[in-house]
Amino acid sequence: MTFEDAYDSDESLAAEYVLGTLDADERARAQALIETNSAFAAQVQYWERRLGELHAMVEPVEPPAQTWANISARLDGTTQSEQFVLPRVDEPFDAAPLEDNVVYLSRQLRRWREGTLVAGALAAGLAGFIVISSTAPDLLPERLRPKPRVVEVVKTETLPKFVAVLQRDAASPAFILTIDIENRNLTVRRVSADAQAGKSYELWLVSDRFPAPRSLGVVGDSEFTIDNRLMAYDPATITTATYAVTLEPEGGSPTGAPTGDILWTGRLVQTLPGARSQRSP
Amino acid sequence: MIEGERGLASRMLTPAELVWLLAAVAKGDRAAFERLYAATRAKLYGVVLRILRRADLADEVIQETYIKIWTSAGQYNPAIATPITWMVSIARNRAIDLIRKKSEVPIEEESDAMDVAAETPDPLAGREFSEELKRLLACMGKLDGERQRLVLLAYYSGWTREQLAAKFEKPVNTIKTWLRRSLAEIRECLGS
Repeated sequence: MTFEDAYDSDESLAAEYVLGTLDADERARAQALIETNSAFAAQVQYWERRLGELHAMVEPVEPPAQTWANISARLDGTTQSEQFVLPRVDEPFDAAPLEDNVVYLSRQLRRWREGTLVAGALAAGLAGFIVISSTAPDLLPERLRPKPRVVEVVKTETLPKFVAVLQRDAASPAFILTIDIENRNLTVRRVSADAQAGKSYELWLVSDRFPAPRSLGVVGDSEFTIDNRLMAYDPATITTATYAVTLEPEGGSPTGAPTGDILWTGRLVQTLPGARSQRSP
Repeated sequence: MIEGERGLASRMLTPAELVWLLAAVAKGDRAAFERLYAATRAKLYGVVLRILRRADLADEVIQETYIKIWTSAGQYNPAIATPITWMVSIARNRAIDLIRKKSEVPIEEESDAMDVAAETPDPLAGREFSEELKRLLACMGKLDGERQRLVLLAYYSGWTREQLAAKFEKPVNTIKTWLRRSLAEIRECLGS
């Protein structure tokens, strides 16, 4: 057996996902695996790190000037995930304009590189620097000795995140549900279910605590979030329920109960806190 | 990077500097975000434009990419990727997802794409390669010429196997085998 025979097909899928050669359905499958399978997510991270180096050979091209204004305007109304794990470092930036800063930084960095200790620390992504500056500041060159204390590890608390992949078989995920338990936010992404004219997909929560499925609403054409529907349910119900999608008349079931066949089902799995850390959208 | 490149690219900061910026961005620092944008926009735009080949689509993807970077900077993990490879991954994934939905986007214009493919391990004048890139290129250099072009063209252009098959005038299954084998060989060469 050659090594490539042993090359597991999931590994190959991860590599080709990053390379960019998968078609839309295969990409959807890979993205579902990233959400639910930490070993697969790690494979994707491996290739993103490795092949990502190829960016160095791409010629930079300036985007239109208007792009920044558009991005800036869109920042309002966004929320940030608060789980940065880096220690806070006394940043060498000051209020000087960017260009000056870069020159300043590059000069400073060059100076830093002269100290082998510091070069090592930089390579280690600052972790070493933090350790040295907090435990043995005398080892550092004068410039780098901590003036104010720079060690302040941001407390991180990763809230569990739950994902359900609604599918009929492993190769064809149709919808991906992501649930933020704390806020009871439910995001549904349609990945490979085709839109049907005059019909709507409706999402149901099926739990042995209820005699009948409870509607969670009609699934839209693209990614969307239902804010309140899950508020009526406690976390235990949400995490143990089965989620199902039926095809209903446009706008959803007229009766409040499913009228079409159950086309896809899935249960929630808790994603590992680290599994999504490097995930790309 | 800074010492090796001048002009436009000199705005590209070192990984350590980008990590600082991302840390600040994760705390909601808009000035840091603007610096991060200034330092990386041309690289990311260059990457997605090559895949999308349409300025309007590239603009759309760049906006979404930076919104995503803004909202998920807190999830960036320096132990797993450099800041720029993390950001490039976000941008490429958005671009490829978009182009898979827009089959009408022309995929010809091969001359440009082939320019990229021509940029194989050549000693690109004046460029400073990271150790990781040198290692990757050394491993890719072990593939035969056609496979190297295949992998590079796939990466830079975001083409499907079908598109690559048309380009290389081979059956899709052959391309699939080549890709699989090439990636396995690269992985074997790189190690973990």
